[in-house]
Amino acid sequence: MRTEANSGRSTASGSSVKHYVFAVLACGLTTLVATPLREQLELANTVMLFLLTVALIAVRLGKGPAIVASFLSVVLFDFFFVPPRLSFAVSDGKYLVTFAVMLTVALIIGQLTTGLRRQAEEAGRRERQTRALYEMAEELAGALSLEQVVQATQHFFRHHLGTEVVLLFADGEGTLVAWPAEGAQAMIVEPHVARTVYDSGEAAAYGGLGSGNDQPWYFPLRGSTRTRGVLAVTAGSMRGASGKEDLPLLETVSALVATAVERLHFVEVAHVSQMQMVSERLRSSILSALAHDIRTPLTALYGTADSLALIRPPLPEAVRETIEAVRDQAFRLSGLVSNLLDMARLQAGKVTLRKEWQPLEEVVGASIKLLGPALAGHPVKVSLPADLPLLEFDAVLMERVFCNLLENAAKYSPPGSAIEIGARSIGDLVEVSVVDGGKGFPDDKLERVFELFERGTAESTVPGVGLGLAICRAIIDAHGGRIRAVKRPGGGGCVAFSLARGSPPSVPEERSSAEPDPS
Amino acid sequence: MNSSSPVVLLVEDEAQIRRFVRSALEGDGCRVAESETMRQGLIEAGTRKPDLVILDLGLPDGDGVQFVEGLRAWSAIPVIILSARTTEHDKIEVLDAGADDYLTKPFSVGELLARVRALLRRQARAAEGESPVLRFGAVEVDLSRRVVLRNGAPVRLTPIEYRLLAVLLASSGKVLTHRNLLREVWGPAFVESSHYLRIYVSRLRQKLENDPAQPRHFFTETGVGYRFVA
Repeated sequence: MRTEANSGRSTASGSSVKHYVFAVLACGLTTLVATPLREQLELANTVMLFLLTVALIAVRLGKGPAIVASFLSVVLFDFFFVPPRLSFAVSDGKYLVTFAVMLTVALIIGQLTTGLRRQAEEAGRRERQTRALYEMAEELAGALSLEQVVQATQHFFRHHLGTEVVLLFADGEGTLVAWPAEGAQAMIVEPHVARTVYDSGEAAAYGGLGSGNDQPWYFPLRGSTRTRGVLAVTAGSMRGASGKEDLPLLETVSALVATAVERLHFVEVAHVSQMQMVSERLRSSILSALAHDIRTPLTALYGTADSLALIRPPLPEAVRETIEAVRDQAFRLSGLVSNLLDMARLQAGKVTLRKEWQPLEEVVGASIKLLGPALAGHPVKVSLPADLPLLEFDAVLMERVFCNLLENAAKYSPPGSAIEIGARSIGDLVEVSVVDGGKGFPDDKLERVFELFERGTAESTVPGVGLGLAICRAIIDAHGGRIRAVKRPGGGGCVAFSLARGSPPSVPEERSSAEPDPS
Repeated sequence: MNSSSPVVLLVEDEAQIRRFVRSALEGDGCRVAESETMRQGLIEAGTRKPDLVILDLGLPDGDGVQFVEGLRAWSAIPVIILSARTTEHDKIEVLDAGADDYLTKPFSVGELLARVRALLRRQARAAEGESPVLRFGAVEVDLSRRVVLRNGAPVRLTPIEYRLLAVLLASSGKVLTHRNLLREVWGPAFVESSHYLRIYVSRLRQKLENDPAQPRHFFTETGVGYRFVA
């Protein structure tokens, strides 16, 4: 196919000399054939033979040889056939008309025939090109990977245009990567030119398109939504004046490749989202099954122990203490399970925040009430500024944050010491802090305590697995805030987190205060 | 256990949970009927005519909303929901459908009994007819005269604050969802404006609670709504 492609376009000097020699030989042959027949044939018929020869030469060998043959035929006809023979002298002036007509007709025939020939060749070339494009389009349509797209494109360029091609696609970070990589080196693909083409979406080449040097040309692969990559091709053996004639073809090919790449992209996107959906469904069904299967026996255990403590008449002191211990352990276990499940959901990144504007005070109060006995004698002092604006957060998750912080504060501070919850506005943020009367966090762990399964004191007698603060951080992060452990000069553990103030909605004031009917 | 002791219907599929709830309720002077599925529960509710229903939301055949709606079609008896945490949405739906209260598993038996008593009391009071004067903490509300006193001194409430207070008092012990309260106090057009409600509850607490940050009467049910307890 390659030679076929080349034969149509090559008018290189080597073969053309041969064509002229053939033309001369053909004219000589005609003379040889016609000479013995000159007695039988009229001179007019001999002229026909020469015209036939010129026509054949025009068909087979092209325009130049046909012109040469036209003149040569007239000369040979004059020399060998027009009396006096074997001389260029002409006996009768009417033969001059014959020569003139013969030359004109020969030239016209040559001209028309080569024109026809070129049209036929062009039609053939177009047909081959269309077929090749069609084949490539078919291959691209079936391509399941970028490699296959690259292969199909390479095949087309190698066999149809006899040139090399390199495709460049943006990777995850937006860097253009050449496929095949070794092709880019052989072709000297300039990364910055490719980048410009990729960014601008305009085709380019050194010295302009069609400048016909050995530098590659670059075509953007424009998809419907954005540019998908760049096609680089050497202009070396392009057709026409410095390859300009092949530009529309190259643009068509680029569009085909772009469509294929875009299709692959969307297939990939669809595939990934389906995988996510399946794994998400699996994860949540496992989680809810786990939640149910663990919580049910825990509920039974906790409730049973709790109901024994209520029995009348009361059980002996020692038994009651044991029962209460069982109950408290069951409750702690249940809290642990809740935290683990929360963490799993948060880490899956699939928690949808139900953010609403609300006063901080409310969720603080709810958390304190929820913890109830777990606060075990630690008085909680809530001092929030009266002018604290409404904040936008997910109340249920924020309750987890406060519960975990309060529970930590109670666990890591001496019995009876107070826990303080405060808040203050700092610029666009509101910073909320929970301070206890304990020793505070170790200096070297102020950041690390928020990591999963990380604890302030590694082998502490205080029970815990290092989940609480990690959950707090996950929740605060999801709210776009920041949480940190603060070293306080006066001692005491302090965790502070910030939330954006945003622009809280207003509530219209009522016109006047109400009138409890005085009567 | 005499014939006047209240009957509680317990709809729960876990035998162990049924066991301790039953023993706690019986210890508190109730008679207990049990059923393992919601379908059977609805039938039991129709035949036994209980005074209160305790319903587990996690039943295998269960759509709690359907159960409550089915029950509410003919009865106003209180319903307490038992549910897992992280299912606020389900709780809200069932409460909106007409359930009165909920407990999150694992729950304390003492808490359950307190809720049962509160609802049964409200039921009994409703049967006798409400007294126009209600007292909680240091506050006295005279519904007939629209007067609110705290430590004997009148408290000035705006019309909306008063309406909100009246709705909460009327459903003492019952969890009222945000939507429910917004519809009752502000009207159906405001059911999505939950910040209105939150600001007004906060004002009621400022005016009527000793420590608004740690309320004793106007409780927050986080993510769900509010509950007033006298």
